[in-house]
Amino acid sequence: MKIIEFANKSTNEIYLDYIRRAERMTKTLSENDRQDILMELNSHIYEYMQKNIDTDEVEKMLAILKRLGAPEETLPPLIADLKLSRATKTFNPFHVINALTLNISNGFVYVLFSLSYLLLFCFILLVFAKLIYPHNTGLFIEENGFHFGFISNITDSSWTEVLGNWFIPVILLVGTIIYLFITLLLKLKYRLKQKER
Amino acid sequence: MNETFIHKWQSQVKKGTLSFILLTLLKGKEMYGYEIMEYVLKHIAIDIAEGTLYPLLNRLKTDGLIDSKWVEQPSGIPRKYYTLTSEGSIALEEMKKIWEHLYESIKKISK
Repeated sequence: MKIIEFANKSTNEIYLDYIRRAERMTKTLSENDRQDILMELNSHIYEYMQKNIDTDEVEKMLAILKRLGAPEETLPPLIADLKLSRATKTFNPFHVINALTLNISNGFVYVLFSLSYLLLFCFILLVFAKLIYPHNTGLFIEENGFHFGFISNITDSSWTEVLGNWFIPVILLVGTIIYLFITLLLKLKYRLKQKER
Repeated sequence: MNETFIHKWQSQVKKGTLSFILLTLLKGKEMYGYEIMEYVLKHIAIDIAEGTLYPLLNRLKTDGLIDSKWVEQPSGIPRKYYTLTSEGSIALEEMKKIWEHLYESIKKISK
């Protein structure tokens, strides 16, 4: 993005401070999204400053920045939205975590999504439990039914673990299916939100 | 006359028709954000806040009704031009029909 240069030192400082704050706010976005936002802000400031040449430059700068609003207040909803859009497009877990962190205050439904992913994470931890405690983790069959997961104290010798080392791929497969399902629901929620607005 | 009520109603109407106004403006010509804002202020007397205009343009773009492209300028500060897509043209025609129907209906009942 090309920085605008103003002859007046104060105008320049006010402008640069605003751009720096906008840059700081958008640093977690992809470079394309970030540049798009910064360039649009920059272009709007430039176009506004070209008008009313007889008005004091500093006053004009303060007026347009006031209209645009503080980046700390105006950009978070846009950033949260872009993050959610990216997460539901890529299905990348890191983007999903990031998007949910930014959207958690936007409704109870995002708290539910966060809890679902947290439970899924706990489910995936069974893989490590199987590696560390192979005899206490798995699918155990007994006379009255079955037990699944990590059992710290197996007292009944009639319990038989049936999956063995297949437990890990089964957990990973089921975990992936649940992850895709929750993320598809998140995508659906995002689309509904887009339509509602 | 209850001026407060009228004023409130007027701003609600203007706000509610903003998408329609933007799509109508972009029919057949490309415009950039600041230009749209100035045009709407001058011709329709609506002072759209930047915080309303840009999220609305983004939403119309997400819905596939408009598209945008960056165009380099001699100043070195590019402008982002918005244009109506074919989907946007279809939506605009539908909106026009609804608008005209509403206008005619109100005219009929007010006779």
